[in-house]
Amino acid sequence: MKKQSKDVKNRPTSSGRDSKEYFRPKSKKELKEILKNNDILTIIAGGTDLLVSNYQKLYKIDKWLDLDLIDEFKEVKIFDDKIEIGSMVTHDRLVRLEKIKELFPILHSAALDLGSPQIRSRGTIGGNIVTSSPAGDLLPPLLVYDAEVVIISDQEERKVDLNTFFTGPKKNVLKEGEILEKIVIPLKKDKSRGVWKKVGKRKALVISSISLALNIVFDKDNIIKKAKMAIGSAAPVPLRIKSAEEILIGQSLDSIDYIKVAKAAAKQISPIDDIRGTAEYRISVAKNITKSALKEVTK
Amino acid sequence: MTKKYVGQNISKVDAKAKVTGKADYPQDLKFDNYLNVKIKRAPYPHAILKSIDLKQAKKVDGVVDIITGQDYPDLNKFGLIIKDQPVLIGIGEKMRFLGDALAIVIAESEEAAFKARDKISLEIEKLKVISDPFNAIKKDAPAIHDDIELCTDYISQDIGKQNILVDHYLKKGDINKGFKEADLIVENTYQTQHIDQLPLQNEAGYAVYDQYTEILKIWAASQWLHDTQADVAQALNLNKDKVRIIQTAIGGAFGKKEDISVHLHLALAAMHTKRPVKLVYTREESMISQSKRHPLTIKAKTGVTEDGYLTAWQVEVFGDTGAYASSGPAVVHKGMYHCTGPYNVANVKGVSYAIYTNNTYGGAMRGFGTTQMAFAYESQIDIIADKLGMDPAQFRYQNAYDTNSTTPNGQRLSKSVNTKRTIEEAVKLSNWKGESEK
Amino acid sequence: MEIKLTVNNEKRKVNVKPHTRLIDLLREDLGLTGTKEGCGKGECGACTVLMDNKVVTSCLVLAVQADGSEILTIEGLETKDKLHPIQQAFIDTGAVQCGYCIPGMIISSKKLIDQNLNPSDDQIKRALSGNICRCTGYVKIVDAVKQAAHEIKSGVK
Ligand SMILES: Cc1cc2nc3c(=O)[nH]c(=O)nc-3n(C[C@H](O)[C@H](O)[C@H](O)COP(=O)(O)OP(=O)(O)OC[C@H]3O[C@@H](n4cnc5c(N)ncnc54)[C@H](O)[C@@H]3O)c2cc1C
Repeated sequence: MKKQSKDVKNRPTSSGRDSKEYFRPKSKKELKEILKNNDILTIIAGGTDLLVSNYQKLYKIDKWLDLDLIDEFKEVKIFDDKIEIGSMVTHDRLVRLEKIKELFPILHSAALDLGSPQIRSRGTIGGNIVTSSPAGDLLPPLLVYDAEVVIISDQEERKVDLNTFFTGPKKNVLKEGEILEKIVIPLKKDKSRGVWKKVGKRKALVISSISLALNIVFDKDNIIKKAKMAIGSAAPVPLRIKSAEEILIGQSLDSIDYIKVAKAAAKQISPIDDIRGTAEYRISVAKNITKSALKEVTK
Repeated sequence: MTKKYVGQNISKVDAKAKVTGKADYPQDLKFDNYLNVKIKRAPYPHAILKSIDLKQAKKVDGVVDIITGQDYPDLNKFGLIIKDQPVLIGIGEKMRFLGDALAIVIAESEEAAFKARDKISLEIEKLKVISDPFNAIKKDAPAIHDDIELCTDYISQDIGKQNILVDHYLKKGDINKGFKEADLIVENTYQTQHIDQLPLQNEAGYAVYDQYTEILKIWAASQWLHDTQADVAQALNLNKDKVRIIQTAIGGAFGKKEDISVHLHLALAAMHTKRPVKLVYTREESMISQSKRHPLTIKAKTGVTEDGYLTAWQVEVFGDTGAYASSGPAVVHKGMYHCTGPYNVANVKGVSYAIYTNNTYGGAMRGFGTTQMAFAYESQIDIIADKLGMDPAQFRYQNAYDTNSTTPNGQRLSKSVNTKRTIEEAVKLSNWKGESEK
Repeated sequence: MEIKLTVNNEKRKVNVKPHTRLIDLLREDLGLTGTKEGCGKGECGACTVLMDNKVVTSCLVLAVQADGSEILTIEGLETKDKLHPIQQAFIDTGAVQCGYCIPGMIISSKKLIDQNLNPSDDQIKRALSGNICRCTGYVKIVDAVKQAAHEIKSGVK
């Protein structure tokens, strides 16, 4: 028996049927056309969630809609009062964008910690949002920055506050035939300070056991004017911790009762036991990271 | 005499092939006209196979054939130490863990093979699943294997022995005397978990059968080339000289590739089709069907004098060996022999049990039972030092092995005993200044 | 579906199915088996290749999505019987054990060294954070990257 030389040869295609269609629109217009003429489409962006959840079952997908060639979806636009991030912007690009680092440091830090260099090269902000995992790392930062998402279909366009977008673990308000086009984040005049905390079993390539985003605006007397806090991986959806925010507002740096805020945070979450940690562990870590995030932001 | 190798930096012979991507691991080989193989595995960890329906599966375009136990009723069980693992579960037979193989699917493409695999329908009768070794040793627990003969008469009457694969005993000095000499006795239970060795390369291989010479060649990793050859031959009723195991590059093993993996199913598929066949495990398959580091439950009772000298050490070790023996008898046994770690204890007593459960089987992994034991004895040492109010480094030092120390199984250590030096170095390098200054 | 791409500087035209992954295209169709599959889920990094100069796990990229792109695999590093300095450094420092992670490690190292000829330990660890070595040879792998960067820098001067 001789070993075959490793020539360039196409694999025998004797088995299986080819998928009926693979759509690769180059513009939003073409996209809408495709949406109009097709019912069930599997949408692929960077593929880093889709290829994992369909491992060894990819052949079962009938119709693909690939967003990778739509340049409009890769744009980042800065206006006076808002910034628009296309859904196909990768984590790697988010990390490199100076404007994001300057204006939305928590989003920058979260993207920097996400997955690995390989995952950041392909994974997109849109994919992270639509996957809607309670552990999605970009989600707590986007929540504290009051992000909205623009959703389009072949005939409609709607804007949804991210706070109402997630409806359960890996569930959201998107309907069949709807596409996430872009993320809109308001630009605020106040100067804020933010912290991102991610806790997992390793430093890289790890899905968060729990995560926290905190953004605070001080007035000129160093009194907390606005506070936004969100926790990931500790409830069916990434969660704004309004009870803690309320306690913080009006406090001065040295009057913050860390324990009280931490307890409020721990009370609002409803974590479960899973492979990434027990509920008990998560509650105790939630308290600790709340405390350390507050200490960091007030430093 | 100049030193040719000792003390020199020698590059690995295959390093160049590996940095250029030219080293061939089994999944990198390609034979003309080869077929792909996939295994249908047990859907439930403890069940009787009532029937297999292959009709839909065989209709999948590209499927060449599907082999079940019915096609080869005379196969023998296999295993590294004890032959207790079936090649294929036949009708009326029992599956004992999720890795048990029920059918071998052979197809022109990998995709066709796993499509067909997923179309095989089964009828099974579920049995009570035993996932905790302490449930397995209850008197009324169902027996996972019907034919265990290794259990000795020494075994405690309090436990059911129907799931105990082997029991082992250890005795040195006089344990009662040792506890009498002690000022303090500390008892604790330690529990370790399953760990996958996780070599980066999944199990994979090719087999080619030459029907004229009747020689079967298998290209697949093995840590025991000749044992694998012998086991394949006895399981398939072949002459050993007709079986060739060819070692390719191996992408890590760490104990996991001591056991047979793809070999037997590839062999059957090659002989059945007379064509080269290829089988590559997925990561999940590798995790489900191949060995793990044994979870051990270690009950330790230690006696110590108030000035910090160990006088007695008694252990009971319960090893979850899973569905099949693999290296279990040796791992659990060896673990127990290391129960005192590198510390002198004149009086030692131990018993260990390798217990069948419906979990993935335990096998070899770096350390072979001793790593689990280290967790127990080092924790025990720290707890005792704390109770005595002694510096744990000093406590270790004054009990550490030296030349002429004897191990629990009575081996005299005559040379190269560096425990004390190791402790000295560790104290220095870690800048350890005692508990109070932590 | 027909796609066109450049692999290791050679132009290729190949037929793929919509669900063919880039790793399958490379390994099965193009015979470039230096790229390894360790998990199929982007966790281990053994299948890392450069795609338009970005590190990607080729198990998580559809071949169709590589249409028009430039791919570099481990086989593309050597030049006329001369090893790439990174490959040589991996041999010299003893960074190769079982070898299964090495193609991916070298590709990720190349991406780093292309941008940074003076990488610190931390930068190396970050750049290789998507590549797992189970023989636990990270120390020597970091040494290898440093040595390679040093050699390339000396050569560049
Ligand atoms: C090894 C590994 C590590 C990871 N680590 C992390 C981590 O640390 N933190 C983290 O948060 N995530 C992590 N992920 C998950 C994943 O990488 C991210 O969620 C990523 O952002 C998903 O984006 P994508 O473009 O790859 O999505 P895809 O896989 O392409 O799509 C994901 C889902 O969203 C849908 N979709 C995508 N874009 C749109 C759109 N514009 N409109 C409508 N539907 C759309 C798809 O249909 C699909 O159901 C990891 C994944 C892997 C494989």
